[in-house]
Amino acid sequence: MMNATIAKLALQALLGRRRFYLLLAFPVLLIALVSLITALADGDAAFDILPGLGYPLVLPLVAILAASSVLGPEVDDGSIIYLLAKPVSRYGVAISKWVVALAATLTAGALPILVAALITGDSTRAWALFVGALVAGTTYSALFLAISAVTRHAVIASLMFVLIWESLLGNLFTGVAWLSIGQWGLRVGHELSAQLPDPANLTWAILASLVVTAVGVWFAGDRLRSFSLRGED
Amino acid sequence: MSDVPQSRPGVIHDLGYRRYDGLREGTATIARTLFITGLRHAYGLGRSGKSKVMPFLLLAMSVLPALIVVGVVVLTGMSSLPISYADYTNQTQLLVSLFAAAQAPVLFSRDLRHRSIVLYLARPLSAPLFALMRWLSLAVALWFFMAVPTLLLFVGAMLSGLDKSDQVTQLLKAVALQTLLALLVAGITGLISSVSLRRGFAVVGSVMALIVLTGVVTAIQAIAADQDADAVSVAAGLFSPWSLYTGLANAWDAGVETFVPVDGAWVLAYALVALLLVAGCLLGLVARFQKVGSR
Repeated sequence: MMNATIAKLALQALLGRRRFYLLLAFPVLLIALVSLITALADGDAAFDILPGLGYPLVLPLVAILAASSVLGPEVDDGSIIYLLAKPVSRYGVAISKWVVALAATLTAGALPILVAALITGDSTRAWALFVGALVAGTTYSALFLAISAVTRHAVIASLMFVLIWESLLGNLFTGVAWLSIGQWGLRVGHELSAQLPDPANLTWAILASLVVTAVGVWFAGDRLRSFSLRGED
Repeated sequence: MSDVPQSRPGVIHDLGYRRYDGLREGTATIARTLFITGLRHAYGLGRSGKSKVMPFLLLAMSVLPALIVVGVVVLTGMSSLPISYADYTNQTQLLVSLFAAAQAPVLFSRDLRHRSIVLYLARPLSAPLFALMRWLSLAVALWFFMAVPTLLLFVGAMLSGLDKSDQVTQLLKAVALQTLLALLVAGITGLISSVSLRRGFAVVGSVMALIVLTGVVTAIQAIAADQDADAVSVAAGLFSPWSLYTGLANAWDAGVETFVPVDGAWVLAYALVALLLVAGCLLGLVARFQKVGSR
């Protein structure tokens, strides 16, 4: 299913020019902030940055940026039809692009969280958060890829999911945790370290993450299968 | 027909056909039309149905809590609003930031990406004025976005018979602060989307400048206040548009709490930084449009 050439082209689109610096800005910013606060403040102030800012904001933003850069520009300017005209399975296209987006999300989103958490000390907690970030990053990238294949406003729609549904409503209503990708990741990480919150049921968290990932990638391929070009709205 | 005026300099559409001898509107009319079109486009009016969804969805989400607050105040007969006008905007800052991030590319990126900017600038409208009008459209659209729920809260407060002079003072303070914030946010998001022409990257860039930066500043402010480094906490507030807004609102007694009260010379610093930021973004926008227009 995986197509090396498409993956290579997606990687080039991701690392090309300015967007690479935008993608790089997140981990650099996060690690610099956490190091600064670890050096200056005492207590656990530095670690609180990670569940407060790094995990719920930086990780999904990196995932959005990665997923929309492997698919978004091509859908935006219509050049995706040249790719779809090739005799390659549309699911193969979706999977190849997802693998690249996933690799970018984990490298620029999950890995910096591990590094930043290790800087604050307590490696068990750091690894637990990293496992959570791996689960959430995988699920996020599949979901956002599916959204990118559906609408031109993929970035805003994904941002609304993360900022309004997961952050704003998630803080108001605890029940949102059952339908929040970030919370599923935290629940899996909770198994390694009790310092992470325990929002939902473990089986549910694992199953839901797997289902969203699989359905997300399949749906992206399905949308590409019945793709139609529309004009600028 | 006598004494037809010679074609004016700077107009390129005179191909020798029969002259138009009606009334010619000047630059002021072009600028005003551009402003009104931009304002309508920011809300998707005059564009396709799909592009109306996002702005009105966000507007509805920012109005809904105000309706609930008004309902609670009217039903329970409270003696004051549970949230001040300026603080309401602060609490819904995520929605305001998303609206700005989503709609700035509509006004600033499309003309540059499709090169239709050349057609605009072929008219007697200069590039700086074009940039200025686009910025004003976005600022007024943003101001409107914040003013609707504020006004709704005010109407609710008046209907439930709260003290009039008190509420009017608070309302006017909030509106003045919102105006400054709208100018600021429109400048920042406009500059980002005129530099980064892909919609997705402009949106992520704006979200970084508005939401991520504010999150970082808030974290630093909270930690500094926790460590009794009050000056650091206040100084950190200078680095994001939302913390500038809350700081100024706090200093002006508009009902917004900050970690450390902003007072003394800091108020002047906050006001100066906000104004300089607006001026800087405007200069950047004008420079950007002049550069693109001269290509």
